[in-house]
Amino acid sequence: MSKELVRRENTSAYLFLLPSLIFFVGFVVIPMVICIGYSFTDANMNSKTNPTTFVAFQNFIQLWQDKTFLGALKNTFLIVLVSVPTVCLFSLWVGSAIYKLKGPVLSTFRCIFYLPVVTGSVAVTVVWKWMYDNYTGILNYVLSRTGIIENNINWLGDERFALWCIILILFTTSVGQPIVLYVSALGNVDHSLVEAAQVDGATNSQVFWKIKWPQMMPTTLYILVITTINSFQCFALIQLLTSGGSGTNTVMYYIYYTAFKMTEQVGHFGYANAMGVILAIFIGILSAIQFRLAKEK
Amino acid sequence: MKLEKRATPYKVFSIIILVILAFLFLFPLYWIVTGAFKTTADIYAPDPQFFPKEFTLNNFERLFAKRTAPAWEFAIPFSAQFSASHQPIYFSVGPTIPAAFRWLTNTVLMAVVAMILTCITASMAGYALAKKRFRGRALLFSLIVCAMALPKQVILIPLIKEVSAMHMWDSLWAVILPTVGWPFGVFLMKQFSESIPGEILEAARIDGASEAKTFTTIVVPMVKPGIGALAIFTFINSWNDYFLQLIMLGKSSNYTISLGIATLQSETSIDHGILMAGAALASIPIIIVFLIFQKYFTQGITMGAVKG
Amino acid sequence: MKKMKKILALVLALTMVLALSACGSQPAPTPAPADTPAPAATPAPAEPPADDNTGADEPTENVADAITVWVYPVGGWGDEAKVKPLIDKFTADTGITVNMEWLAYADGDDKVNAALTGGNAPDVIMEGPERLVANWGVNGHMVDLADMIDDTDREEILPAALEAGTTADGKVYLYPMFNVAHCMAVNYTAVKEAGAEEYIDLETRTWTVEQFDKTVEALYNKYGGTVAAVYCAGQGGDQGTRELIRNRYGTKLTNAEHTAYTWNTPEVINALTDLKNMPGIDFDASLAGGDEIAKFYQGVLKMAFCWNAAQQLDPNQAGTGEGKTLSGDEIVYMCFPTQEGKDPEEGSGVWGLGSFDTGDEARIAAAKVFIKYMCDSEHCSEAGDISNFFSCRSMAEGVEIKSSNPLLVEYYSKMMPYMGEYYQITTGWAGARTEWWNMLQRVGAGDDIATTVATYEANANAAANAG
Repeated sequence: MSKELVRRENTSAYLFLLPSLIFFVGFVVIPMVICIGYSFTDANMNSKTNPTTFVAFQNFIQLWQDKTFLGALKNTFLIVLVSVPTVCLFSLWVGSAIYKLKGPVLSTFRCIFYLPVVTGSVAVTVVWKWMYDNYTGILNYVLSRTGIIENNINWLGDERFALWCIILILFTTSVGQPIVLYVSALGNVDHSLVEAAQVDGATNSQVFWKIKWPQMMPTTLYILVITTINSFQCFALIQLLTSGGSGTNTVMYYIYYTAFKMTEQVGHFGYANAMGVILAIFIGILSAIQFRLAKEK
Repeated sequence: MKLEKRATPYKVFSIIILVILAFLFLFPLYWIVTGAFKTTADIYAPDPQFFPKEFTLNNFERLFAKRTAPAWEFAIPFSAQFSASHQPIYFSVGPTIPAAFRWLTNTVLMAVVAMILTCITASMAGYALAKKRFRGRALLFSLIVCAMALPKQVILIPLIKEVSAMHMWDSLWAVILPTVGWPFGVFLMKQFSESIPGEILEAARIDGASEAKTFTTIVVPMVKPGIGALAIFTFINSWNDYFLQLIMLGKSSNYTISLGIATLQSETSIDHGILMAGAALASIPIIIVFLIFQKYFTQGITMGAVKG
Repeated sequence: MKKMKKILALVLALTMVLALSACGSQPAPTPAPADTPAPAATPAPAEPPADDNTGADEPTENVADAITVWVYPVGGWGDEAKVKPLIDKFTADTGITVNMEWLAYADGDDKVNAALTGGNAPDVIMEGPERLVANWGVNGHMVDLADMIDDTDREEILPAALEAGTTADGKVYLYPMFNVAHCMAVNYTAVKEAGAEEYIDLETRTWTVEQFDKTVEALYNKYGGTVAAVYCAGQGGDQGTRELIRNRYGTKLTNAEHTAYTWNTPEVINALTDLKNMPGIDFDASLAGGDEIAKFYQGVLKMAFCWNAAQQLDPNQAGTGEGKTLSGDEIVYMCFPTQEGKDPEEGSGVWGLGSFDTGDEARIAAAKVFIKYMCDSEHCSEAGDISNFFSCRSMAEGVEIKSSNPLLVEYYSKMMPYMGEYYQITTGWAGARTEWWNMLQRVGAGDDIATTVATYEANANAAANAG
């Protein structure tokens, strides 16, 4: 009987999972498996003239000596490591500054910070490109008129600035959702605890970190997850603004680049897939850590 | 509490900063809208025109004249599978219109279909993951968690080959289906479904309700806020998923608005007027939708977080 | 209870079947292996009257009734409104409908390569030999068009252009359509205001390095900022920077056999050093060729290195007319400066049509009909006029081919003598282009020029050898 029950539970669970699994397995798992397979070969677009052969770990060995790849890996992690904490802290600050404001004011602020998200990444990129323009951009105009800078800065063409310019755009398109989330999380904090603490003479910052912050932990973790996803997926910005030049190459762009621009290079598909595998391993580890943290809440 | 009402210097300071930030956040949008209506002379004026005095529709006219496409054209799903030349079968009706409108229609169509499919599949799977004990559950869940942050670039080449082998490349399905496959939705819905009390499900089972009935009458109403959050998230995500659109769409009449503008930008001479007109066209409709349903947007997202 | 379950199961089963049927065809990644009879049989009967003016094809061949044509924005061919009438005429004459797609240089390669990866290549493509021959052609993606070129064609087509479209072993992957000599341009109105018009020879359009440097200096003193940009945001328009740099001290960037890159020479290093140290010339990693042209039209830059007849004849977006900037300043095209001020080697541009090997005979036949119509018929003149370039042939099928645009004719009489050889067919070209603009970025960022040039030339040669 109990065996029968287990069987039925299993069947119904699988049936519920099936539609989702078809898509997940078909468009994520299978491609990932193929990707791993490719990464051990010198697969390329020109399979007619260059038949694919098995090359074992050659792609991976080559990758660790490829300066472009290592630079791209560094940039990728720089973007994630900079943007995730700043987005979280900034949205926490904005959230705590506006959550007690009157309804219409609050929703106005919330809307404004959310607008870059809905504007769409390409539209945002296009307008920022114009604003960053070396010669006619508004940023240089304002900064030089106010005397902050002397000569026009080539924002996207200078490797000292380009990556930070991209991170800034990424930042404006990432904070919208976290702010909305923090506003509501702060609104939902258990007020009896806050009042009790205030009666006990706790300072504002003590109340915040000792009482409100722990209660917002689930929200924070959720925000960490979505911001990490967002930061890893930033591709349009790099492709449309710098094409990976000026020191803004990332692994995501470099994979695309190797796959579709370096087609004359033998084994470029295998090489691109090997990069994908390495990136996937890093992301897997990162996700596992975040997942552990979520478990411990 | 009195304590909270007092305007401390810190609060005044933070409000001032907030207002400045708000203007900075609004500025790109303002620049898009004004840029779209500026005359060529104003756009290229040596000193940027913050408040244009003259408005023109010239940029839109040039944008519309640049590319055209048939007004409606539907690829029958999987039709390429059966057609002799392995090209999808299209129904095209109506007149030729500026391609930008076609791109908008494509984008809406794509985002809505992806949203509906994701909501259905993810809510079912999320429920099963949260409330059913089955073999392979832990494994599946960790797979989902690991795959969640995976950028699509990683599986770019196999994905193209797979979609091409299914003869779906260069159709909106090639963008929709991988979007639905992305496991974030399942994760989100699992988090939601955790909060459904087991006793209610047990009671339904004892009453003799079928699995399907339990799901539609008990589970779905309880996770509705989650579905709302997921719907918004998926809609915006697929609207913005430039990368997938870039590699999957070939014909310009299949383009989405993002891809269309990106293509305009990469053409030889960069024409800010046309670009801003395109950007305005891409962003204004969704912004209006957002402002109208703003309350539901924020509510939906919020609900998601509290549980998540 | 049971009913619901059944329905659910049914729905799931259906989804499954659909998915399976979709996956079923996966093991056949090569496009259209053996299923040609079916598609070819039906459309064929409608065709025969079509081929009257395209004698080269056998009349009995099956010809598809629709083809896909992808064009890069080669001169005016990037403009849908200009191209449409000719395409409509083609459809009316041959009964073959054409799905035109316009690519951009920035991501056009990616698009074609993505299509090739999945076996979704278009039937016809318009671009230059560096892609059609050196990349897709030698890698087996293109159809050999040698059967379309007979002895009369060989006489009529410019030999250099035909050579550029042909591989070493005689396969023709590009049917030449038009060619141009790439040059540079100056804002003549600004030059006059800066009092430097003495350096500009409107008759010969050539100048010495010294005259060029003096002009830059005069413009810099007058306007400040950036007079001209050595743009290096990407590969777009890189022929301009290449020709500027190699002409300065007169050198070549590849060896005579086009098998290796030869940038690591004192000539290139000295040219880069000169340009790096010249006030008014900036290495700008935020601009690619297209952006540079835009900035030149705006009047921000006073010189453009990414120039040719199509730009000179573009009435621009403000509609001020041919050879004018947005504000109406006069644009004068010039050769790249050389030490002696004579015999510059302008970059050679050749474009034509190629056909991708889709494996479908009927579609390839239709593609050849299209190529014949555009490249070897009385419509050549019109195709050339659209591009604003010069047709690669003098005669086609007994009709004289000439441009109807006097400005274009003038451009050609001045520039054609200086047209250099077509060297962009060296192996590993795509990789070498990347190394080139990356090298310029490093030089612009202030790295040691000699070592930078050595490093990037070595990278380019590694790419050439690997390919």
